[in-house]
Amino acid sequence: MKRGSFWRTGFVCVVALTFAFAMVLSAGTSAVAKDKVVKIGNILPLSGPSASVGIQGKYARELATEQINNAGGIKSLGGAKLENIYVDSKSDPTVGVTAAERLINTNKVHILSGCWNSAVTYPSTQVAERYRVPFIVPVSVRNTITERGFKYTFRIAAKDAWWTRDQFEFLEDMKKKSGADLKTMAFVYENGDWGVGMAEQWEKLAEKYGYDVVLNEPYPSTASDLTPVVMKIKRAKPDVILLTSNASDAILLTNTMAEMKVKAKAIIGTGGGHADPMFRKNCGANAEYMFDVVEWEADLSKPGIPELNAEFKKRHGFDLAGESVDAYASVYVIADALERAASTDAQKLREALASMHLDSGPAMIVSYDAIEFDESGQNINAGLVMVQYRMVDGNLERVSVWPESAARAGFEAVFPMPEK
Amino acid sequence: MDFIIQAIVSGTLMGSIYGLAALGLTLIFGVIKVINFAHGSCLMVGMYAAYWVVMLTGVNPYLALIVVVPLLFFFGYFLQDIVIKPVLEAQSDVREPTEVIIVTSGVWYILDNITLMIFGAEYRVVQTSITGKAFEIGEIIVSTPKLYGLIATVIVSVALVWFLKYTKMGKAIRAASLDREAASLMGINQYRVYNIAFGIGTAIMGVVGCVLIPFYYVFPTVGVIFDVKCFIIVVLGGLGSIPGALLGGVIIGLIESIGAQFMTSTWTELIVYLVFLAVLFVKPAGLFGEKRDW
Repeated sequence: MKRGSFWRTGFVCVVALTFAFAMVLSAGTSAVAKDKVVKIGNILPLSGPSASVGIQGKYARELATEQINNAGGIKSLGGAKLENIYVDSKSDPTVGVTAAERLINTNKVHILSGCWNSAVTYPSTQVAERYRVPFIVPVSVRNTITERGFKYTFRIAAKDAWWTRDQFEFLEDMKKKSGADLKTMAFVYENGDWGVGMAEQWEKLAEKYGYDVVLNEPYPSTASDLTPVVMKIKRAKPDVILLTSNASDAILLTNTMAEMKVKAKAIIGTGGGHADPMFRKNCGANAEYMFDVVEWEADLSKPGIPELNAEFKKRHGFDLAGESVDAYASVYVIADALERAASTDAQKLREALASMHLDSGPAMIVSYDAIEFDESGQNINAGLVMVQYRMVDGNLERVSVWPESAARAGFEAVFPMPEK
Repeated sequence: MDFIIQAIVSGTLMGSIYGLAALGLTLIFGVIKVINFAHGSCLMVGMYAAYWVVMLTGVNPYLALIVVVPLLFFFGYFLQDIVIKPVLEAQSDVREPTEVIIVTSGVWYILDNITLMIFGAEYRVVQTSITGKAFEIGEIIVSTPKLYGLIATVIVSVALVWFLKYTKMGKAIRAASLDREAASLMGINQYRVYNIAFGIGTAIMGVVGCVLIPFYYVFPTVGVIFDVKCFIIVVLGGLGSIPGALLGGVIIGLIESIGAQFMTSTWTELIVYLVFLAVLFVKPAGLFGEKRDW
């Protein structure tokens, strides 16, 4: 007993000493480089269920930071270098809040960034607001993140509501261009939070644009048979079918629709299962001409994408995706704000972010033309891309078709879907 | 009215496949008095076996039956012999060997997770010569692979009934299911009978696997989707009853299919459970259940 407590006390002492030493050391280094480094605190899910996207975001940030630092850092700050500090949120909101507090108070970061999970971003931005530290949100889609009147939160990605908005705008545009007559609509979606939330927004938009909703059908994602649902779609004879599906049900639904010969002028997915590589592989020709909304696609006709993708793939073994692109752009947003503020003062940084109009440079691999924030801190240009499944040289590919400025060279949307 | 006929047709086709899947469960329960919680996992093994045979050799999925069914029979035979038998022996003086339920649950988790480790979580679909094929009778669309499913169900059920009625082994299985001690006293090796019954039960899952892969995807936890349905079907039809399992399957298929035409498809599950409760209320032993004390 005595012996045990002796060792324990000893262990605690050693740990405490190590910490104290480390702190002195880090305080020392930061004092030396005080005017030369801008610290960015990144809160990301680096372990747990969302780890893969969190790690992609980290890699993208590292790549952008390296490029900026190698190009001479922030020139208006005398070539100051960017330094990233990463904290693992484990997708847990309470961990995110603690991390934000610690990054601000202990690490004295100048700017915060993260957190991918909307549930973590929501309370963490609140901490930043209290301390008046600018918080860049590259990817977190929950609407309310920028709807609280915050002054220090800036979101680059599109809001939740914009996915459905773009689906309807796309249809309006296609109506004009093709002269197709679209009157009726069917909503078919998985019966979880996500699908039900999307359907609520569809309902409002359908009313606004004057569509007649002929079917509003949730289904369980784990269904063993979706023939009954497909039969209902067939009976309802909608012009447009809007879908929100996970991977397995997207496959089953698409194949069953082909088998039951369901015909529609447009079938539009909402990312998720319809963007899953498995979907393309397993549906094959049955998915041809279907549409899907995504935040980013590798075939966008924007300069710099192939080179950057090649570099990213060489380093980490996988392609860029929507998440990593927004994370990559976010570092350039921070650099641009610092450059124009010529200061690391939080107030001046905020002003520089609020007045941003970033329309050139490497950040423009995004699908739209400029990054600028409205009063709520939302990037007003953040757009989504409509892709269409098309046969290219005998392979089914996701081809960006809308907006036209981002469409893959030589392709335009085939609308309405041709009958097979 | 077309849509009602269409709903009846697709409901019956899908329901017969549910019934076939429940057949294996009801057989194993009827003989060994063990609720096989690994039943869904056996189905998963059957589907993967069918998937790989078709994938590697490119044969017609129904030709794959020649390989898959014996494979699954021996899989079930040795699963019973190596994993379940020791527990049964230890409990040979107990009327209802409930511990075996825990063992089969363990088998379920182990099988699902081994598959996850080996093949990953991805969904696999194989393109066979009859994938997506369907024919039309008037306005009614009949899915060809599901029609073959119905035919397979009929053939397997008739063969199973004949086997149990007229072969020596079948008689031994029935004797062991009636009273395992009396059967042992008559010179029947009850554990061998159990091994064979379990083997037949899983071999049927091999048939289901071959029937399903032309139109359904395979992934490590695919069994869970069919598992719950099988349990409802078996209890609804009467534990241990072969016609009960088939009728129960068709009833569930019809409720899902016709019900969905009049309400949101997520609600049909409610109807399934309501019918289930109503049947148990009126006939506690299930539709074809015998009033005997197990």
